[in-house]
Parts: sequence; C-alpha cells; structure tokens
Amino acid sequence: MDTEIKNTAPNSGKFWFALDNAAKIYPAIINENVTAVFRLTARLKQPVKIKPFRKAVLQAEKRFPFFRVQLKEGFFWYYLEYLSKHISVEPDDKPPCRKFPKGSLLIRIPVEGNNISIECSHILTDGSGALEFFKTILIAYSGECGTEIPSEYHFNEPTAILAEEYEDAYNRFFKAEIPPMVKRSKAFHLPFSLRPSSRFSRLNAMMPLEQMKEISHAKGVSITVYLTSVYLFILQEIYESLNAFSNHKKRKKLRVQVPVNLRNIFPSKTMRNFSLFVMPEIDLRLGHYEFDEIIKSVYHQTKLETDEKLIHKNISRNVGSERKLFIRGIPLFLKGLILRMKYYSLGTSQYSGVLTNLGKIDLPDETGKLINYFIMTPPPPNKMLKISCGVAGFGDNLVLSFGNITQSLEFEKKFMQFLRDQNISVEWETNR
Amino acid sequence: MVQCPNCGVEVEENANFCSLCGELLLENAADSAAIIKSGKLRRQEKLLTDYQKLTGFQKRKIFWQISALILISGIIITSLIDFIGNQNITWSKYPATISLVLFINFTLNTFLRQKIILMVILSFLSVTGLFRLFDIYAGNTGWEIKLGIPIIFAAYLTVFTLIFLVRKAKQKGLNIIAFSLTAAGLLCICVEGMISVYFQSSVYFGWSLIVMVSVTFISILLLYIHYRLKKATDLKRFFHI
Repeated sequence: MDTEIKNTAPNSGKFWFALDNAAKIYPAIINENVTAVFRLTARLKQPVKIKPFRKAVLQAEKRFPFFRVQLKEGFFWYYLEYLSKHISVEPDDKPPCRKFPKGSLLIRIPVEGNNISIECSHILTDGSGALEFFKTILIAYSGECGTEIPSEYHFNEPTAILAEEYEDAYNRFFKAEIPPMVKRSKAFHLPFSLRPSSRFSRLNAMMPLEQMKEISHAKGVSITVYLTSVYLFILQEIYESLNAFSNHKKRKKLRVQVPVNLRNIFPSKTMRNFSLFVMPEIDLRLGHYEFDEIIKSVYHQTKLETDEKLIHKNISRNVGSERKLFIRGIPLFLKGLILRMKYYSLGTSQYSGVLTNLGKIDLPDETGKLINYFIMTPPPPNKMLKISCGVAGFGDNLVLSFGNITQSLEFEKKFMQFLRDQNISVEWETNR
Repeated sequence: MVQCPNCGVEVEENANFCSLCGELLLENAADSAAIIKSGKLRRQEKLLTDYQKLTGFQKRKIFWQISALILISGIIITSLIDFIGNQNITWSKYPATISLVLFINFTLNTFLRQKIILMVILSFLSVTGLFRLFDIYAGNTGWEIKLGIPIIFAAYLTVFTLIFLVRKAKQKGLNIIAFSLTAAGLLCICVEGMISVYFQSSVYFGWSLIVMVSVTFISILLLYIHYRLKKATDLKRFFHI
C-alpha cells in the first residue's frame, strides 16, 4: 500500500501515520531497560535562559507538527496519532533515556544548567531527523536571545512543510524483486556482567576534532572508519585477554554496526527514520589483526556496503517482508512475539558493538557561538550488546559518548588509552 | 537574570519560582508568597455562587426537605379529597402508601449515602412493605410473596450490580450502555422465569432468551468499540494493514 494513502497530512486536525519500516520493530522490543530512546545534548557556554528557550521550543514544534504524536495500537500494526500536547521542557534530574509512558509524546526536552537535551524515541525518528528538530530549537533560541537569524532559517510559515518530510522514505526507494540478504553468523559479545536495575550509565570522552582529523587523514580514512577500527581493535584485545575456556571465545567474528544516514545517498527530506547500517567485521579465525590491517579492511568493507545497489538490497529485505500480505494480516500481538524473537536472533546476535556517528553538526555562526559541543547518547544497549558508542562533532570538539549497562569500564578505558597513545588529548566524565 | 540554585537555568529577574523545576527563589519570594496565595483564594471565591459553595450533603438535604413537603402535602390533599367524596378512605390509600415509600427512599438516599449496602437493603425492605400493603388492600391473595418480591429482589440485585460496575468503570461511555443492556436482558430472564413459575408452576423461557441473545450481541459490539477502538473511530486507521 502507498505511504501517501496511509498517512494524513499533519495540518488536517487529528492526523495519523503508519510506522515507518525501521520503527516497526521497536514497539515489540521496548521495555524499561531497552527503551530505544536516544539523547542529543548541546552544552552551552552560558546557563540556559528558560523563558526564551520555552518560546523557541513552541516555535520549533510548530514547524515539526508531525513530531507531536503518540503511539497507538491498531489491530494489525501500531500507528502514530496526533496528540494535542506540547513537547515538555523538564528539569534534567531523572535517569537519561527513560522509556516514554503510554499516551505521551515520544519526545522530551530535559534542561539543566548549561545543558539542553532532546530525548527522542526511535519509533519517531533517527538521530539525523531529531538533529534537524534540535537545530531548529537552538536556532530559534538564539533568535529569542536577540541574535540575528539568517533568512534561510525562518520557520514561521507552517505552509513550508513538505509531504516529503513525514514520508516513509524506505517505501519510496523500495525496489521490488531484489534478492534478499544472506544471514550472517553470530558474533562475539562482550563478557562483562550487568549492573543491577537502572543499569544504564554514560561516559563522555571529549577530544579536539582537529587532532582526530589529522590522525585519521594520515591513514587516509574518515573519522567514522578510524573510530570503528579502534572499536574492533579494542574488541579484539578483550577477546584475546579472555581465558581460553571462556564461552565467549566460541564466536570468533567481531562486527560493529555502523548506522548510515540514507539521506546522504537518496534524495529524501524525511524527518522520520531513514538509516541503515553497515557491519564491518574481522574474523579472528584468521589470526590476530594489526591496527593498520583493521583500518584497511574496515575502509573497504564500508565502501563496498554503502554501494547504492547494496543499500537497495538491504531496503528491499526490510521493506519486502513488511509488504507480504500474509505477514501484514497477522494480528498485532502475534507480530510482537515474532518480531521480538527475530530481533534477538537475527538482529543483536549478529554484531558485537555499535558506533553511530552523527557527523559534524552545522549551525549558523550566531547560534554556534552559544554552544561548546554536542553529545550524542545512543539508546541504552540490550543485554547482549552491553556497550554502544555515539559520536558527535561540533566546532573544535569531538565527543564520544559510551552507553554502558555493565559493571566494567574496561572497554571505555582501553578505547581512550588507545586514542591517548596516538597523542590525542582526551578528557572524560561519567554519571555513574 | 538570576540563576536557579537547583537546576541552574536562568530565570527572569523578578521571578518567585523557577519555571523549569519549581524551586522557590527565596530572595524574591519571601514576602510575596503570601500575596500570591491569597490572590488565588480570592479568585476562587469570586467564581462560586452561594449554591455552589454548599457541600453535596447540604444540597441533598435541601432536596429531601422539598420532596418531603410535596409528598406530605400530596398525601393530605388526596386523603381529604377521597374522604370528602366517599365519606371514607378508599382509593387514596394507594397514593398515600406510594408517597410514603418514596419519602422513605429519599430519606435513605439523603442520610445513608456512605453506607450503600445498608441503603439498598432498607430500600428493598420498604418496597417489600409496599407490596405487602397492596396485597392487604386487595384482600390477601398472596401474590407478593410468590411474584412481586422475587421480581423486585432480582431487580434490586441487577441494579445494584450495575451501579457497582458503573462506579468501577474507569472510562464511562459505550461500556455503560453495554452493561445496562446486559443487566436488562438478565432481568428479563428472571422476570419470565418467575412469571412462568407463578402461572404454570414450571420454569419456561421463551421471549426473554431472544432478548438476551440480541442484547448480548449488541453489548459485545459496544464493549469492543469502547475498549479496543476508543478514540479510533476512524476504522481505516485501526485496521490499516
């Protein structure tokens, strides 16, 4: 069925959307611990002025009406329905990335001191979609604080909303009759034991963007490829330090999932999920890898997997199954069971880590002047994955944010030590 | 601009509270807190009329007094007319008895609101008394023991259960209609059963089963709409596949 028929325009009163292809898995797997909520934080140079900030949020949510929705259960699928509540600006004194309760919006804005954050459920959008909204808020905020906003950032006319912005772009770029992907074998998982309840903690590592650029360019690769390689290298180090009889040693493939923003490949302006991932891997059955070997391999694997034709293949695997009538006709509660099983067997078990890079964030100078750096906290990892990493660059700063549900900081410490050994000055903070 | 000591954001110079976390900003609020509170109270008082200020019990008591006046004067007037017309009390004992029972029930409703079970039992007893009196007036045929009281008992039971369910329902809407329909259907079955026992001395169900089946279907439909569809009146949205 066409997206156009399923969706109603957000200016038509009580509109609703079908979930996009990537979002469909989340309602089935969300619980108190695996919340699928990620957070973007902007650390300002000055304390937040709360009154102008509230005005800015009101302005921005007018421009993004399709974010004011709640999750509802239909008979066959979940869907998103307009909820006439304002996006809540709240004090940031509770644990980060909490699950959104039933009947609430899927986006919240925690504020504290110099920090403005936005927490958003993956059901609604991905990091790049949320970042557009976040940028709009920040630009409007700088406007409310009295700076001049460049004319291309005036968001006052709600007529400017394109249908493209709330489309399910996967559906648009779906090509039928493309063979499905082959299944991958199970990957190595970190051996650390979990923390007790309210187990999610974060560690932010700040470093100069320039230094990071230098060392990755010296190897002829992008920052994402470099950091992914470090990730794999540290995973290998931990793997090799395990005792020979450990159960974890049975799986000898190390894979890191790296989300790819499809908006850079396909011409879509969608503000909903539109990303896929590549999964560079190293196979330890072939022996120990040197760091340079890893970089070379990751570079080529990434290039290969971001090939447009291969991406098409991925999309068609995901969307194709959703389009089969006998799958569509399964009642929702059964679908939930199946999706949950598939998520753990086909999803998480295939990779050992996640590294998601939001890229270098662009803002008009007037707004950028207010901000020190951005932090991108990935959704709390599940009990297989245990650790994940979000990367965001802004101005002269690059921030890695490690989400961790284990009792160990070994992975993060090794990661930072590796970077320090490359003469990068790393500072870190954690909330545990 | 002042900084909130709790959450660290900047708020307006003259603010009494932090608009983000609700922290009281002491140096501003020390003397003005009292003024704010009294202002709020004054506005609340202005909005209410004298009648709105009464408690629920006071309102019920007024209703009880008025109904008592009407009913008692009704009893006196009908009795007088009957006595003047017939030189005896004949037909007027019926309206007088009914008024009396009504008055008893109003009284129960006014004073026993908190003890609902006691109220229902006493109300049931008053109606039994009414039937007993009617039977005495009509010459002791004994119908009220065999027919009237069982039916009224069934009616009280279903209505009481219904009230209980309505009070327990978190969202009131179509589900109330469904409950009421089912209760009515059950009552029909009871009534037909009792009538057949009274007239034919055997239990027989005919029309009431038809009623029951039809209300069951309608109730199930209504309950489904209420609990599953709720606001999703748009069926396309709910069933999109």
